[in-house]
Amino acid sequence: MSEGSMILKIISLPISIILICLGIMTILGGHITPGGGFQGGAMIASGIILSILVYGLGNSPLELSHAYIEVFESIGALGFIIFGLIGLFVGGFYLYNVGTDLLNVVPTAIQTAFHYPDVTNAGIIPYLNIFVGLKVFVGLSSIVIAFAGFKKFVEEGE
Amino acid sequence: MLSLGPVIFGLILGLIIGSQIKLNVSDAKFTLGSFVVIFIAGIVAAWQLGNFPFYTDLPISTAFLSALIGIFVGKLLFARSK
Repeated sequence: MSEGSMILKIISLPISIILICLGIMTILGGHITPGGGFQGGAMIASGIILSILVYGLGNSPLELSHAYIEVFESIGALGFIIFGLIGLFVGGFYLYNVGTDLLNVVPTAIQTAFHYPDVTNAGIIPYLNIFVGLKVFVGLSSIVIAFAGFKKFVEEGE
Repeated sequence: MLSLGPVIFGLILGLIIGSQIKLNVSDAKFTLGSFVVIFIAGIVAAWQLGNFPFYTDLPISTAFLSALIGIFVGKLLFARSK
């Protein structure tokens, strides 16, 4: 699996880094452009997957540890739930956009705290994109890491 | 006026992912010069992308560039050898 040529090994880490940057850009533009958390997360995961496929599991410069995957999968899910509950308790609806506050029911301090700092009035939508992006990125990467690990396990057993 | 959202969160996401780059495990030798070349290629890519995501503050993709800087800073600060 790690029998790739030297050309592949030299070019894949730079391409992985550029892919990851493109994924982050897609996540952060998700509220006003096509794309968003899932698409950006999948692009970041594609960078990790490219690195693992070329260098092989255990030899890849971009490889996620078990604790890292656990932590960021949990942050992604918990962040989404916490933002939903904040909307429920402050605005009256689950995932109510407290940063935009279309119904004028949220105090100004809370609205300012949850307002995404850009020229649009997106509120909490970019934050939800970021949480979904984190979750998809570690989720898809962990699937490929697991498959590569199974393959390595079978090859070692033979 | 520069929009701070993509700059701040691009840096944070870049730091998170850059903390996992470990160079001492790979067969290919990446030196400081390699990363300078990657950084210049990233700046060119950000310039070619334009003002994505459609803020009119700078003619460069601020989210892309801040993610690139975040990856390198995260690699320098947090990346540990295996």
